[in-house]
Amino acid sequence: MLFDFANVLVFLALAIAFATAVMLAGRFIRPRIPEVHKDIPYECGEKPVGNAWIQFNFRFYLVAIVFVIFDVEIAFMFPVAAVFRNWVETGRGALALVEVLVFVLILFVGLIYVWSKGDLRWNKAVAKGGMSS
Amino acid sequence: MKAEEIHQRLQACLPDGVGDLHTECTDPWIAVRPGAIAAVARVCKEDPELRFDFLSNLSGVDAKESILVVYHLYSYALRHSAVLKVEVPKAEPATQTVTPVWRGANWFEREAFDLFGVRFDGHPDLRRLLLPEDWEGHPLRKDYVFPTHYGGIDNTRDYNL
Amino acid sequence: MTLYNELPATFVTTNVDKLINWGRASSLWYLLFGLACCGIELMQTGGPRADLDRFGSVPRATPRQADLMIVAGTVTLKMASRVKLLYEQMPHPKYVISMGSCANCGGLFDLAYSVLRGVDKVIPVDLYVPGCPPRPEALTEGVLEIQDKIHRERYLTRNP
Repeated sequence: MLFDFANVLVFLALAIAFATAVMLAGRFIRPRIPEVHKDIPYECGEKPVGNAWIQFNFRFYLVAIVFVIFDVEIAFMFPVAAVFRNWVETGRGALALVEVLVFVLILFVGLIYVWSKGDLRWNKAVAKGGMSS
Repeated sequence: MKAEEIHQRLQACLPDGVGDLHTECTDPWIAVRPGAIAAVARVCKEDPELRFDFLSNLSGVDAKESILVVYHLYSYALRHSAVLKVEVPKAEPATQTVTPVWRGANWFEREAFDLFGVRFDGHPDLRRLLLPEDWEGHPLRKDYVFPTHYGGIDNTRDYNL
Repeated sequence: MTLYNELPATFVTTNVDKLINWGRASSLWYLLFGLACCGIELMQTGGPRADLDRFGSVPRATPRQADLMIVAGTVTLKMASRVKLLYEQMPHPKYVISMGSCANCGGLFDLAYSVLRGVDKVIPVDLYVPGCPPRPEALTEGVLEIQDKIHRERYLTRNP
């Protein structure tokens, strides 16, 4: 059974080898003409003023977190879908369905929470009086 | 209101700042003393019979020995217009700013400073508007010599006209 | 250590050169640099009727990802230093098309005090496209001429 994983190992090795080969080829083929102005930050043609590192808006972080959570949920549902037909044929289809639905329901409660708190809106509305919900 | 009536009203309010009404051209214009233009502008805006709430243009004109600053005023409330001209000497061109009266005059006066060299006393931010900050000279004067170099770039013409 | 212009001209290396030049010419990404009216024609050349994208040329907003700079429009003296800096920020190998009379020689505004008489006073130009403004077909021909120029170049093999 372990020998089946040799496929994965070969795939992994080929992927790493291909990426490395392409980047090495580029490194040797491309011209190397270092100039001072190629390293300074781009500011639409003006001389750059200040630091190029700016603070990220935290809304991107919120969107990314919500995405990761639900993406992982979908990733967990894929193996269920793969073996679902097998379970139905052995008579345990109802159990599988209920388990998956409970899993989705728990995460759905989380989605309702995020939705009602207004975190899905890009511009979170502030209630009258200046206090956020 | 006609130009004569506007002129009479202005002279009644500020007799020593407002000069003559000139009617020989299409737009009759009123001469104003350089030291009185701020007071005249305030009267133009706030007087209930004049109510010039819009400064539609402020530009400079290079007359031979002096520079004229021309103000085109319009009243949306009373639907009349007027032209004021202030004559400043070319050697030391300076007059008062009307930015506190009409905020749009801010960039107009910056442009007049940029292209003619007219200084506006009391302007909040008098610096060049169109040309780069390190430009030398005021291009729209008649005696301006076009530069052949700027910032290390050779801008000579390769042919003769 | 790079192989750019280093190898002798053999059968293999010249054909690899042809392959690399074909790749470079078929994906000339141009820097969006519309300065004046020629910029409108540049946009139209990238538009649906005279499509520049069918030659692989997509517009890029940053010089770091561009290998062709189409200077479209009048270059004033105030803008000239910025044009130079943007050209220097492009990585090699890079090409410049000067589009329209104003970028070629100052054009209509040649007599003005603030206009640079031709963008070749600040950056090296590979191709001049005349016109005021040049039609999209003319600019497309210009891009195709640059492609021919790339095909004639030597990339890995040594220049003779």
